[in-house]
Amino acid sequence: MEAVAQKYKAKDYKSELKPIWCPGCGDYTVLNAITRALAELALPPEEVAVVSGIGCSSRIPAYTSVYGFHGVHGRALPVATGLKLARPELTVLVTGGDGDGFSIGGNHFLHACRRNVDMTYIVMDNQVYGMTKGQASPTTSPDWEGSKLTPEGTGINPFQPLVVGLASGANFIARVSSSDPVNMAQIIVEAIRHPGFSLVQVLSPCVTFRPEQAEWRDIVRTAVVDYTGDAARAARRLMTDDGFNVGKVLFKGERPPFRPEFEVTDGSVAQLEARFSL
Amino acid sequence: MSAETGDPMPIRSIPELLAHALAMETEAAERYGELAVQMETHHKADVAAIFRRLENAEKKHLGELTEMCGKVELPHIAPWDFKWSTSESPEAIDIGKVHYQLSVREAVQLSLEHERKASEFYASVARTTDDAEVGRLAREFADEEQEHIGWLETWLAECGVEDSTVVEDPDPPLSQE
Repeated sequence: MEAVAQKYKAKDYKSELKPIWCPGCGDYTVLNAITRALAELALPPEEVAVVSGIGCSSRIPAYTSVYGFHGVHGRALPVATGLKLARPELTVLVTGGDGDGFSIGGNHFLHACRRNVDMTYIVMDNQVYGMTKGQASPTTSPDWEGSKLTPEGTGINPFQPLVVGLASGANFIARVSSSDPVNMAQIIVEAIRHPGFSLVQVLSPCVTFRPEQAEWRDIVRTAVVDYTGDAARAARRLMTDDGFNVGKVLFKGERPPFRPEFEVTDGSVAQLEARFSL
Repeated sequence: MSAETGDPMPIRSIPELLAHALAMETEAAERYGELAVQMETHHKADVAAIFRRLENAEKKHLGELTEMCGKVELPHIAPWDFKWSTSESPEAIDIGKVHYQLSVREAVQLSLEHERKASEFYASVARTTDDAEVGRLAREFADEEQEHIGWLETWLAECGVEDSTVVEDPDPPLSQE
């Protein structure tokens, strides 16, 4: 314990706008975990940006006092990539849901993992499109019959975000549960500190369209094995995992983040012409 | 995952106890405030009023505690290093346990459960510490929590049938037709 006053409190990272999520929604605790993590890292709010796409969980930027960009469906990662490359001194977080990230934004997800820009992607996975009233998402199990659009289930394999993220080159992978917000804050701190693209999957129940997910809090268990830097070993663990091992980092890679060198220019037309002259 | 374990690790100094108390009262006040807003948003004025009243009571506690801390140099404790046996501080209601049709009785019961946990935390600090002054102050804090507990117990006893009934939602959230 350090005998120092805490520079920022979690509340300092919250905006005046109050969330309108359904009571009981896991996204409330994710917001609390993010603000706790930022306070623990003592990051000045003006040096942090949260970027999101569309969906319930993508509302997070509005509820924080840091810079925010509530963008286009599925396009949070390219926006965040551009921001981080242009302003490398910013701490960039990306927040969103499973539909936004793995379906509409699926292609961007693959290439963000490959590119390994230094940012943290927090995906609130509730296996449903909640904002549009409960359709099957990429991570929904094939036999879920809760939507009238898929009355006999989708019949197709659910997307495996952590396996795909690992295979695509994400440099940090963890799964947490919204039922343990303090552990989540600790993992988010680690994710932000780790260089490169960090992927944090949060099991965040949709209490309205997937009320049965309220049971997740009793099903999840703390993973028994600590993280590995060996992608093959991490992959084997994920392939034999039932999706409910949470609370620990699974993989920490050592791939250097993508940081392109930019020329310092005065922005003049003459300099641009000189650069592109043949 | 949300299981609680037994007695916390001993707290051995007044600054450490005050840091725990300050964090607990802050989180309790903020959480009651968050829940009040949630219930107001969902037009549950009667339930929101309970949480708002508790928020104000916790803010009062917090004000007194902040004054007591005065110029004491408090240690910085990371959220995951506090010595309570719950994930969040014991007085903060678990957000995952509320729902949009929460009845007055359920709200009082939830609040009572967490006020009791807060009191029990301080009692366990008093039991496990080897510092007499920490023990004395922890018992004092536990007694202060009893005030809210008594108030909520009375409220619970006075809950009528209408306070226990979940009103049927005339426009329930339905999966897309």
